[in-house]
Amino acid sequence: MKANKFSLAVLLTASITASQAYAVDNVRINGFGNVVMGVTSSDDTFLGYDDNPDFSNESLFALQVSSDISDKLSATAQVLGRGSEDFDVNFEWAYLSYKLSDSLTLVAGRSRLPLFTYSSSLDVGYTYHWVTAPSVVYNVPFNNLDGVKLSKTGYAGGWDYMVDVAFGQFKGTTLGAENRGENTALISGQISNETFTFRSVYGRTTNTIDLANSEDATAQALGNGFDSLEAAGFVDLADSLRIEEDTGEFVGFSVMYDNFDYFIGAEHTEIKTTNTFANDDEAYYVTVGARFGKWTPALTYENFESSGDVKYTAQIAQIASSGLPPEAVAALSGLAIGSQQSQLSDYSIITASLRYDVTSGMAIKADISKRSDDVDDNQDATLARLAVNFVF
Amino acid sequence: MLKRTLASILLTSAVSVSALAEVAVIVHPGNSAAIDADAVERIFLGKKSQFPDGSEALPINIESGGAVDEFNNKVLGRSTAQVKSFWSKQIFTGKGTPPKEVASDASVIDLVKNNKNAIGYVDAANVTGDVKVVFTK
Repeated sequence: MKANKFSLAVLLTASITASQAYAVDNVRINGFGNVVMGVTSSDDTFLGYDDNPDFSNESLFALQVSSDISDKLSATAQVLGRGSEDFDVNFEWAYLSYKLSDSLTLVAGRSRLPLFTYSSSLDVGYTYHWVTAPSVVYNVPFNNLDGVKLSKTGYAGGWDYMVDVAFGQFKGTTLGAENRGENTALISGQISNETFTFRSVYGRTTNTIDLANSEDATAQALGNGFDSLEAAGFVDLADSLRIEEDTGEFVGFSVMYDNFDYFIGAEHTEIKTTNTFANDDEAYYVTVGARFGKWTPALTYENFESSGDVKYTAQIAQIASSGLPPEAVAALSGLAIGSQQSQLSDYSIITASLRYDVTSGMAIKADISKRSDDVDDNQDATLARLAVNFVF
Repeated sequence: MLKRTLASILLTSAVSVSALAEVAVIVHPGNSAAIDADAVERIFLGKKSQFPDGSEALPINIESGGAVDEFNNKVLGRSTAQVKSFWSKQIFTGKGTPPKEVASDASVIDLVKNNKNAIGYVDAANVTGDVKVVFTK
């Protein structure tokens, strides 16, 4: 991902505004970072870590510049470098924000897709108690939206409410291939009082993942396999399996209780892409913790399931009755069935974590996670991490 | 070992709370809005940008020191670290910007006595006749 021209223009606008038209007072520079060290028990791999200590996999640094162009209009750019990408700096966000009224804000440009509860502050480790937000829910390949977002906030009967409506497109990487979501529309609602926060979200997108051009050998083989099915005359089946302009849906609910002494929260999410080889993913986590002065110990349980059910059985049956040589029938049917079955997934992760607030703006954390896989024991793993989070 | 550390931290924080004076929330003498603790909390957490009477509210924070911790603890009901975490989330999600910060109680009083929209807080012992006290806690 390279910084695009639009982002540059926004940053340029911000910096020109800073140096010429306005006092430095109108430009805010903030930053945040996470330094995370992780290591698994011997021969395990988990969340990008293995049994050699790694400092870059989940580490990141970011700078955010934001400037008020007028009372109502502001420009924000956030550049971020991830250790997993050699700290190559990208424009994570670049948007203009316009206050239509005290309670209504319109954002245009690239900003965080308000998908799940912690999505918008996912990179800012300082804002939550975990080393990283639960992976079963938050390791989604798309986080940023190029488009528009309308936010309405208000207060009624002791409850703050917030409704976000977003529209645009996203780009990410899945299985080494470009994952594109066109006409992405999303609506989320949240209500909170002193201690409770409830949130729900529904989103839709037109999803395309071009596996045949993937950098990953397995994914590429899969993409080429779908092409072979089409070449052999099974056009409808190839269409059913491919992720090509197919509808993807996201649904999520969460509830959090936090009385500042202790907290308990849970979130449940579903992602489905109809009319593709992909199965529906269902994930949830429950987290509970307490604050003792500067210490925040917490326990988190996560669960992820994907069915591995075989769809399009009638279309697959046509391969067998097509009169093709038995080897070809076996290879093509195997591909159609195997691509779906291989997604069968059922695992849970339990994490014990501890946060210590060193000073205002800096926290250190430690956690230990154990992954238990109900489908494949080889995926069982234990991971220990140490992290430093800061904001300024 | 951990127990001892926890106990000593709890002890330290208890001592520091009792050793500090009360915090006074102050506004311009000409501000006649009926402001309660709930309104102050909403203004300082950026959930409201006006006083109950509809006039614009300009909250002022102190950079660091006793009055901030007292104010956060007694009026906002959370620790200074939690307030910092809350504002980090607002800043980096584009949802808001924290109140302006000044260095000392004297600067807060100076700003408040000269601006009808300002609202701040100082150590109750440092209040002068130039400002109006909303409440002390």
